[in-house]
Amino acid sequence: MASLLINALKKIHISTPQIRSSFFSSSAPREVWIENMDTVEEKKLGLFELHPLVYAATPRIDIIQRNVTWQRKFRWVSWAHTKTRAEVRGGGKKPWPQKGLGRARHGSIRSPLFRGGGVAHGPRAGKTHFFMLPFHLRIHGLTSTLSAKLAQDDLHVVKDLELPSDEPEYLIDLIESRNWGPSVLIVDDTDYAPRNLTVASDSLPHVNIMPVYGLNVYSMLKHDTLILTQSAAEKIEGRILHLLHSDTKKQQAEFKLDQV
Amino acid sequence: MATVWRSQCAFARFFAGKTGLILNNTADLGSKVRPDSISVSKRLYSNYGNSPFVRRIQEQYEFEVVKNPPEWSYVERLLPFEGIPKVTPKESYPSGWIPRKEEASNLPYFLQRTKNEELSIYLDISCRGMRKISKVKKIEGDIWLLNDELKEYLKKRYNRYIESRVHELSKFIEFKGDYVNALKEWAHSKGF
Repeated sequence: MASLLINALKKIHISTPQIRSSFFSSSAPREVWIENMDTVEEKKLGLFELHPLVYAATPRIDIIQRNVTWQRKFRWVSWAHTKTRAEVRGGGKKPWPQKGLGRARHGSIRSPLFRGGGVAHGPRAGKTHFFMLPFHLRIHGLTSTLSAKLAQDDLHVVKDLELPSDEPEYLIDLIESRNWGPSVLIVDDTDYAPRNLTVASDSLPHVNIMPVYGLNVYSMLKHDTLILTQSAAEKIEGRILHLLHSDTKKQQAEFKLDQV
Repeated sequence: MATVWRSQCAFARFFAGKTGLILNNTADLGSKVRPDSISVSKRLYSNYGNSPFVRRIQEQYEFEVVKNPPEWSYVERLLPFEGIPKVTPKESYPSGWIPRKEEASNLPYFLQRTKNEELSIYLDISCRGMRKISKVKKIEGDIWLLNDELKEYLKKRYNRYIESRVHELSKFIEFKGDYVNALKEWAHSKGF
């Protein structure tokens, strides 16, 4: 009975969120072509509608900037290190007597006042710059960047990632002829990309493949063109819309390092 | 490793009683007592079902798996909502909450509500309560026209000029002073 209950609970939570259509009439869904990857020449396989709340949000450059700063900082550990007066070699002896010489009083030649002395309040190694950006700024960073990419014609939706050959030249030709790139970020909804694509992009450092859960503002900005598979675009849309329209108290709670 | 070995010995001691070759602090003896010399079957004792004192769970709890029992509706009632539930249309709401109207979407500007169906008009108090700023957020459409109309409305109502600040990118307008209730009344009258 217990396992039955747990299964039922799981099912309920996985089910697709109910998405309310936007009330304002001007926010119509954005239409994009579904393109192909199996020929160098572009073929338009169909039309695909993207939700305006995710792909046509106001591109808040300030939020994008905060996301980029956050992504650079949270993994940055500064290893800059200076020695204090205690750690610099020597300096144990009093350099000259306290009185009678007419000189300033000093107790050590490694004091911060001395040349070659220790550094007062210098950087000490292993300083972490970790912090967590508020949850909704992270969400709006994604929608802003996706919207900016779409508005600048740098976001393309492809049906799948099947290539006819594993030659890097094929991928280079394809990117060249479609006016993509030079750097391209390919996002799929699975962890496993087709073999031809992984082999072809292996020697191209500017063509990268990423699963949906790895999508982030920094990578989207780092690459010129963002290629989403149709299923990836749907998954991103569903996930973000769910978070925009549900109770996010849990995600908004204070981030604790020991909660994982 | 030492702790594991010690805990195994603890169990061995428990089962062997006084006849066993186990002294206190066995882990320190090392060479004398080896783990294979004690017959302790490897079992996870942290698990309730694997405990040596628990026998015949099957007979203790008789159960059968039922698909879609009628009682399930009572369980569903207790489950948390999967999202924020939709508003059920009523004549009036006891809390005083006012739903938005369809006619509001015909205006050149639009005030979006939050995901909890509340108007996003807030009072920001700062400088130890000396500065009060009313903020209208989530504005879609012609924000400058909305600014003009709101200023006109507040001027008529309070008989004085009220300073405002429009932020087009972040889609909000700020008014200097506490005019939250007046702004909310205006928004409800327009159907937002």
